[in-house]
Amino acid sequence: MAVETPTKPTIADKIYDKMFHNYVWKSIFRTGYPNTPRNQMLVVATNVFLHLHPTRIHRTHVKITHTYCLGGLTFFMFLGLTVTGILLMFYYVPSVERAYLDIQNIETTVQFGQLMRNMHRWMAHAMVILVFLHMMRVFYTGAYKPPREFNWVVGVILLVLTFLLSFTGYLLPWDQLAFWAITVGTNIAGAAPVLGPKTKFWLLGGFEVGPDALIRFYTLHVIGLPLLAAIFMAVHFWRIRRDGGLARPL
Amino acid sequence: MATAVVARPVARPQERARDEEVLVWPDLVFVEFISAMVFTLTIFLLSAIINAPLLDEANADVTPNPSKAPWYFLNLQELLLHMDKGLAGVIVPAVWLGLMAIFPYFDTDNEGQGVWFGTENAVKITVVSGIISFVGTWLLILWDNGNIAQYLNGWFGLSGGDSLRFLENARAFQSQLPWPEWSTHIPYLWFDLTLLDQPFHHLNFPAWLVEQAIPVAFMVGLPTIMVYVLWRVGWVRTRRDALLSIFTGFVVTMGVLTIVGTAFRSESEELVWPWQLKLSEGIPGQE
Repeated sequence: MAVETPTKPTIADKIYDKMFHNYVWKSIFRTGYPNTPRNQMLVVATNVFLHLHPTRIHRTHVKITHTYCLGGLTFFMFLGLTVTGILLMFYYVPSVERAYLDIQNIETTVQFGQLMRNMHRWMAHAMVILVFLHMMRVFYTGAYKPPREFNWVVGVILLVLTFLLSFTGYLLPWDQLAFWAITVGTNIAGAAPVLGPKTKFWLLGGFEVGPDALIRFYTLHVIGLPLLAAIFMAVHFWRIRRDGGLARPL
Repeated sequence: MATAVVARPVARPQERARDEEVLVWPDLVFVEFISAMVFTLTIFLLSAIINAPLLDEANADVTPNPSKAPWYFLNLQELLLHMDKGLAGVIVPAVWLGLMAIFPYFDTDNEGQGVWFGTENAVKITVVSGIISFVGTWLLILWDNGNIAQYLNGWFGLSGGDSLRFLENARAFQSQLPWPEWSTHIPYLWFDLTLLDQPFHHLNFPAWLVEQAIPVAFMVGLPTIMVYVLWRVGWVRTRRDALLSIFTGFVVTMGVLTIVGTAFRSESEELVWPWQLKLSEGIPGQE
């Protein structure tokens, strides 16, 4: 019977050992490097960001053509919009006197300001498209069926919230495009029977788009609706796990 | 007699098939990482190439013609050219969202779950419903815009004269038929009702017909006929099949309306080819 003789550790092994097996590193990452099935499961289960996932998943669900990652990408857009949105908030004041000038400043004098604004806008459009495609994916794969009924309802609410988030952001540049799009949009809401005029007044804080509408849309856009969306997203993701992960044939 | 509480079957998560499972790290995390990277790069490149639009500063005195809502609401904006504003802009989307939310409580069967187009005829139903909705929506828009009457006249010399003019578009039913005087102010109730400052006194029947009744009849009737026909030919067998047809019809119709509203509506909402689109930025002081 051959006996394995331990080889002398190389310098690389020693550096590796010092870097990853020390007290500080272990205090941050409890599990070892995910190169064994045990560590791979632990890294998903013990990491706050990764534990959105189960540790194991049915093999048909990792095929890209099953979901096209549409739901995840919608969430990714939401995160990206939060980051670029916060950066834009540093430079933007939602007053009629300053809003348009601030956007011009963001585009011309702020480092990477134009890039941030562009990314925010294109990601917003992408999110609307992705959330709609995600809904189509869920429908055509029959993934709303029991026990996932309620999560479909939450999804419909999130679809509406996405539209509202995009719509409230549309006014903020305070240019002709923004002003008239919101005028048209809120006129549509104002045409509702009985409740229409009151709803429009409540949305705009007045009879037409003006300073009060700007601050309302801004507040809804940067805090009110994102908070609501985050709550419903938390429910949405939680329910995916509780309802047994992604749908698969019986 | 004791009444037993009968437990209704409640849907539960499926049994796991553990031998069919793979590890999330690396199999799923890898896919997610790649798609996130692809999107980050795409958005980054797009943003480097194309700037977000910024027109002149907002001015309530200068009305661009046409004024358009954000693109994802242009379907509604297109719809409200054809019917009552409240119906097109609020009631139709609200009712649709409500209906869509209760889909899973209507179709509770697990048939076809978890796979693309899971029922036997799903692909056929989807494709045919899509084509019918695409063509149908275009025809309805062209009819209501008066184009069809114009083509019939111009290409085939067909003309009903004044007696058939009421068929030219939906609103011609109101303007081209000899409605009796009383039909335009039928009292709703024996007293004058006012709700939230809005009067509900008289019904203008011809206006109600063209603004509400005909559009609702089309929006409810045509999908119903579509599902009925697909059922009679034997394609639609379950509730899932019926929903496939209706949902596809909705998606395609909304798509057509969005495209028409975006690329085919020019000044004063005139229907033109996309390459003829005009936008006037408005003249100060003029509505």
